[in-house]
Formats: sequence, C-alpha cells, structure tokens
Amino acid sequence: MATLFIAQHNLEAMLERLRRKAEVHGPVRGEDGVVRFAELIHGILPDLSAIRTLLPPKKYLLHPRETILKYTSEAGYQLPSESVPPLILFGLHPCDLAGINYLDRIFLGEDPDPLYAARRSALTLIGVSCTPDEFCSCHLYPSPLKALSDLFLNSVKGGFAISSGSPRGEELLEVLKDIVEERDINVPEDTRRFFGHAVSAQVRPELDATLPEWQELADACLGCGACSLCCPTCSCFDVLEFGGLDGRSAVRVRQWDNCLFKCHAEVAGGMSFRKNRAERFRYRYRHKYRGFGPLQGIPACVGCGRCRVVCPAGLDLRPLAARLEEITP
Amino acid sequence: MRRLRLAIAGLTACSGCQLLLLNCEDELPELLEQFEFHFFPLACSPALLEGEYDAALVEGCISMPHEKELLLELRRRSVYLIALGTCAVWGGVAALRNGESRELLRQQVYGQSPVASETFEPLPLQSVVHVDAVVAGCPPEKEELLRLLADLARGVLPVDIDYSVCAECRMKENLCLLTERDTLCLGPLTLGGCGARCPNMSVPCEGCRGPVPECNLHKALEIYEQKGFDRTTVLARLRRFCPGWKL
Amino acid sequence: MNSHLPIPAVVAAIRPLAVDTSLLTLHTEPGHPVASSFLPGQFLQLSLPGVGEIPLSYCGVPSRDGSIELCIRHVGHVTTPLKSAAPGDAVGVRGPFGHGFPLSAYAGQDLLLIAGGLGIAPLRSLLLTLLKQRELWGRLTLLYGARETGALMFLDELLEFQRRGVIELQLTVDRPGYCINGPPECRVALLPALLEQLALEPGRTCAAICGPPVVYPLLVSRLRLLGVADDRIHLSLERRMKCGVGLCGHCAVGTRLCCVDGPVFSFAELAGIEGALV
Repeated sequence: MATLFIAQHNLEAMLERLRRKAEVHGPVRGEDGVVRFAELIHGILPDLSAIRTLLPPKKYLLHPRETILKYTSEAGYQLPSESVPPLILFGLHPCDLAGINYLDRIFLGEDPDPLYAARRSALTLIGVSCTPDEFCSCHLYPSPLKALSDLFLNSVKGGFAISSGSPRGEELLEVLKDIVEERDINVPEDTRRFFGHAVSAQVRPELDATLPEWQELADACLGCGACSLCCPTCSCFDVLEFGGLDGRSAVRVRQWDNCLFKCHAEVAGGMSFRKNRAERFRYRYRHKYRGFGPLQGIPACVGCGRCRVVCPAGLDLRPLAARLEEITP
Repeated sequence: MRRLRLAIAGLTACSGCQLLLLNCEDELPELLEQFEFHFFPLACSPALLEGEYDAALVEGCISMPHEKELLLELRRRSVYLIALGTCAVWGGVAALRNGESRELLRQQVYGQSPVASETFEPLPLQSVVHVDAVVAGCPPEKEELLRLLADLARGVLPVDIDYSVCAECRMKENLCLLTERDTLCLGPLTLGGCGARCPNMSVPCEGCRGPVPECNLHKALEIYEQKGFDRTTVLARLRRFCPGWKL
Repeated sequence: MNSHLPIPAVVAAIRPLAVDTSLLTLHTEPGHPVASSFLPGQFLQLSLPGVGEIPLSYCGVPSRDGSIELCIRHVGHVTTPLKSAAPGDAVGVRGPFGHGFPLSAYAGQDLLLIAGGLGIAPLRSLLLTLLKQRELWGRLTLLYGARETGALMFLDELLEFQRRGVIELQLTVDRPGYCINGPPECRVALLPALLEQLALEPGRTCAAICGPPVVYPLLVSRLRLLGVADDRIHLSLERRMKCGVGLCGHCAVGTRLCCVDGPVFSFAELAGIEGALV
C-alpha cells in the first residue's frame, strides 16, 4: 500500500522544518536521567526510545500552578491576558494522546475553560508509535478515548510511516514534502491498543467498600500524590486566592490537587466527606475507571503506567481493576 | 485604612525567621504602609509591649521562664498569635536533645561554669498558648511570610497546606531522590510549601518543615529500611527539626 | 456570559439572622442571570477579593434589579471576614450553577420542605418561589429545626406565612437555648422527630430537604416509612464546589458531580452511592 514515509535520517531535517512553524517540544532525557517533555532546540533529538516521560503532556495545558484570575479594585476580576504562542509537541505516545483527548472532553465541554482552550488551540500534536513495557496497560482497557493527533509517525524499518489526522497535519505535510516520499510499505496496524473501541454499556455494580484491598492500599500509601500528579488525565485542581500587600489587588491561582490529600473533600468548618484514605482510594478508583459527571462511564485510565512507576510504595491499581472491571487481557 | 499593629518576637532560636522579614527589602515600604511594627526588638528600639496587637509573630521555642512570660503576655495582648518557623511550630533544632538529662547536657556545654539563666526542655509555642496559625520552615519561605501578612491585613489566616514536599517536587518534574537515588529524602513525610527547595538542587529533603498531615510514618520507615536506612537513623534525622516524631 | 469570570457586585446590606449567621444582600448588574434567572436550590460562587471564593445556595428569589440574597454562616475562610462586611464593599459573583429543585414535577403536589440549620437558605428560596403561585401546589408544609431557638432564622417571615394560612409550619430545636420567649409551638427534639406525627399523603407528596448531612439518613428513612417514594425525595447536598463548572473534581458524589448534576438530587439517584448521605 502506498504510504507516506520519512526516513530515520531525515528526523533532524523534519524537526528543523517544524521549528520554522513553531517551538517544538518532545521527550528529552536530562543529565539526571529523567525523561521530560522539553524544547527540542537545534541539535537535540527527541528520545524516542523512552517509554514515558515523568510528567505527561498535561503540563502544557494545565500548569502545575497558574493564575486564572487577576483582581484590582479598579477593574474587578479579569481573566489573565496570556499570549499563547503556537507549540508543536513531538513524539507523543498513543496513551498521552488519549490523555489529551480525555482532558479535552473535560475542559472543552459545554463550557470551555478559557486558559485550557487557548493553549489547546495553540498546540499541534505529533504522535509516534511505541512498544509497551510491563507497566503499560494501554492494551487492557477498552475505551472510547481516541489517540487523536495532527500527525502520527508509525515506526517501520528505516523510518516512519507518516499520516495526517487533521487539516493542521496536512499543512505540516506540505512543509515536509521534500523529505517525505511515497512508498509501498505495510504499516502494521496497532492492534494492541483499545483506544477507539467502545466500552460496554453494562452498568457496573457499586464498588464494594468491604474489599480488603482498599485498606491495604491505604495502609501502604505515603500520600505523596505522585500517582495523580504524574497521571495524564488526573486534573483535579485546588483554587487559592492570594491578596496583594497593597490591599487592593489579588490573584486567584489553581494548583494540581490530589484526591488522596486530606483537604480534598473538606467543606467549610473542616468536615470531610472522605475522612480516611481507604475511602479516598475508592474515589480515585471510581474516577480512573468509571469517570465522573459528563464523562461517567468513560474510563480515565489510558494505561501509561506512570502511577505505578512513580509510586514510592509500588502501589498498583491494575490487578484490582482487572478484577472489578472484568478485563480480560 | 488603619495600619495593623504587629508584635514580632524571637524566643530561643537563631533569629533567622525574623531576619526573613527584614530581608523583604523590596516589600518593606509597602509593609510599612499596611503595618505598624510596634514591638520588634530585633529591628527597632526601644521595644516595649504596650496596648493590644492585631497579631504577634513569634519565632523560636520556649526554654526559659522569661520567654514563657513574654509569650503569655503576647498572647494576652494579641488577636492572633502566629508561630513563625519550625522552632516555634515544632521545637526545632533547640529541642533536638529533648528527652535527655538536662543536667548532663548542661555539663557537656558549660562544664562546671555557672549558668546565668535557668532553662527547661525546649517546647513549641502550642504547648503553652493557643496558636492561631503556623508558618513552618527553617526558615519559612519569604513568599509564605508575605502571604501571611497579606492575609492578616484582610482579617484572615492562611489556608493550611495538606500536601508533602513530594507533591511540589513532582510538579517540578525533579528526579526522585528516594526512588531513583535511594537517598534518605524525607519529602514524603514533610509538609510542603517550600516548592521542594532542596530536591530542586538534588539535595534530599531534610524535613525542616515538620510532618505533613496524615503522613504514613510506618510505611515510610519500611521503605527507608529497604534502602538501607534503619529506623534509628531515620528517626534521628526527622527529630532534628521536630522532636515530636514517634513510632 | 463567561461562567469562569466573576462579575462585580457590592454589598447592599448585611443584617444578623442569628449569632453566627447573616443575611447578605448584594447588588449586581441588573438583568444578569446570576441575579435574575435561577431556580431554588441552584448556587452561585461568591468571591471576596484577596480571600477566596465559595459556593452558596441562593436564599431569595430571582430579581430584575440585580439584588441577590445570601445566607452566610461565619465559620469558614471566606465567610469569617464577611462578618465585618459593610454596605458598598466590593465582591464578585458568578452563576447560577447546578440543578435546583424540580419545580415542574411539583405541580399539583403537596410539598414537604424540611430544613435543618443553615439548610433553611435554599428552602426559603424554594418557599418564596412556591408562594408566588400558591394556587399551583397543594399543601405546603415546612419542618424547620435548629440548634436552639436563637438559631431559628427568618422566624417573623415564616410565622407570618403561617398566620396567613399559606403554609403549615412546625419548628423544633435541639435544645432550648437562652431565648426564653421562644416562638410558639416550638418543640425540643431533633428534626426527624417532626416526621413522627405528620399526616401526609405519600402518593401526592414531594419532599425537599436541606440540612446538615448528619440528619439525612434518618430523615430519608422516616420518609420512606411514611411511604414517600425515593424519586419524590429531593436533597440538596453540601460539597466544596471550587470551580462550579465540573472541572476541579472536588465535589464528586459517587460518579456524579455535585456542581453540575446537583446539588439537588433525588434520593433515587443517590441510593447505594457511597458517601452520598454520610
């Protein structure tokens, strides 16, 4: 079948052309060994062998801490005027693409979040195929989430089969046309991932609070928050307001939050609706595998494996999910 | 608008937390518009307690009778009393040897020479008076101190932090010094708010801000043990800033 | 309308309702939906500049002139400094958010309103709304309990409605308190006790409940004993809605979000959901 192909040795030339359009970020292994999405400046190639970055690409859409409103006594509350330059994310794995698809469904729903919407529309997504490791479970959970990208690079012998998934992708192909050629190659269909498959409509029974696993998880959890901070779809945030010293100005910020933290379910006066950690684990489980609100029934786990990899106690929700969601690998 | 009347006092401590305020050079003119630093012996003399205070910010633990008197006096005169810094909140470095014989400690330090003032086992402020809010850290972050003052100016107290240093460290996308380098990083047990100041520089967290709410000491000790740090070592490290750590 | 951006409002009046609770009247842009088009049981987000933002149930009825009534208990980070609010103070409001009480389903029904403590706020909004078209509904009964007589709010108004015969009113307090001249016929008992001797026709009664979470399980089980069906019992749940628009994740009840799916839920929707009523 005739497919567009870009040779491995043309990767640098491709990045060079992309950089003429916008700043390009991709997975880069730092001197400390940590793989992060960072700017791919001239001479730096993305680390396409890395299975996962420490933080997912959500950091580009929802900053760990960001100003969402500014206040002055003269002008009242105002949305921050942030200029959002275009950005190309290169080397996104299908799980991270599905993660962005999930965040889009939350933040670009009926009532789009202004900051998210601005940043999202400035973002061009270039995906790349990968080989899951033992922590990945992208092939386990049927999910309606889609690994949508503007361009997708499927690894084949000597380079990548390249396909466009949007008008923006078509535009980029135009820029790349001198290094892209048409070839007759067989692109293996990525059958391992369930993204795009329908979930069963079957309503799951309520979670059984008496299962011993909840308490076992709670007892072993340090409460450090790494699992959700590093999760591509965890997007709970706390909202804080800081008054200026002048007494007339203020900023309101939102900051990544975690459902395992003490204050997550507290209301005024200090009463909490989830006092113990076992209850919070059920909450986390419910969110990850069954979804909230408008996304009820849509699992939020894209199987990237980050929560398991970063947990200092090595906690893993997968065995429980396999049982409770009756997932057969 | 009326300027808030503040008392800034130091008890047994290094004065570093009070210096933090004096180091806010850029903000001092603005602070002076909002606050009257009426009692601030480190910065201005004469310093006499007089009338009532909107808030007292107290650095240090109490280890001498006159400190206890001063603290009670500040409490009586102040709407809010704030423990400023880890010594005031948890006891801090001065309380490092709590639980050991005072007489022995005295001899180790002063030998046979007479000691001018009577001392007792250092205590955090809350063991003597009601504390309305705390700002932990050795020293606290300048940003936190300024935020506290901005809050006081609006008649509120700062919102409690419920996350550990780990959370902020992850947000910074740092290398995890505990899981990847097997160091004795106290991040998972330590109250956040410092922006992971030490791990940002690849230095393991020393636990200077004291325990995070609901920390899981039991499990953490198990993990540290797997990395070759026995319980005694970990507890000794934790107790440098907060003698209250117990199994 | 941008639901993420608070619009300016000013404090028009503040008057004490009880020792720790005030009625705050705000004034904002006339005709703005935050003041002019909400259903009882919906909520708004109130911003106190430099301090923070909190969700609050509407306590009054929609207005054309931009006024909003809110019932504030001064116990939290934002509500404590509001104690010293004065007319003219600047605040911010955005809303309305969520789902309120199902007024359309109430047509022709007997309505049983049950309020505990501060829960009177959204139920007052509901009551005032119902009274605007009194002829549309059958019996209107309000059961209202508070800690002590001094904590019963809007008493003059409620007693007046009772005197005019437009509502049936039953009051109770947990303890007598210091108010010697308590309102007439106020019992000393916990709120669910008022349901013990209540005669109602379960097939044509809808219950609307708002109170401290601790009373919900008992109230619901009493109503079920009286034969009221689960889908005729509506409860307003208190959760910490930080964004109000289904994003921040703080207010989930089971897999529902209190801010967009609630805060008013029928008990049929909540039955079996862990943590919904506790």
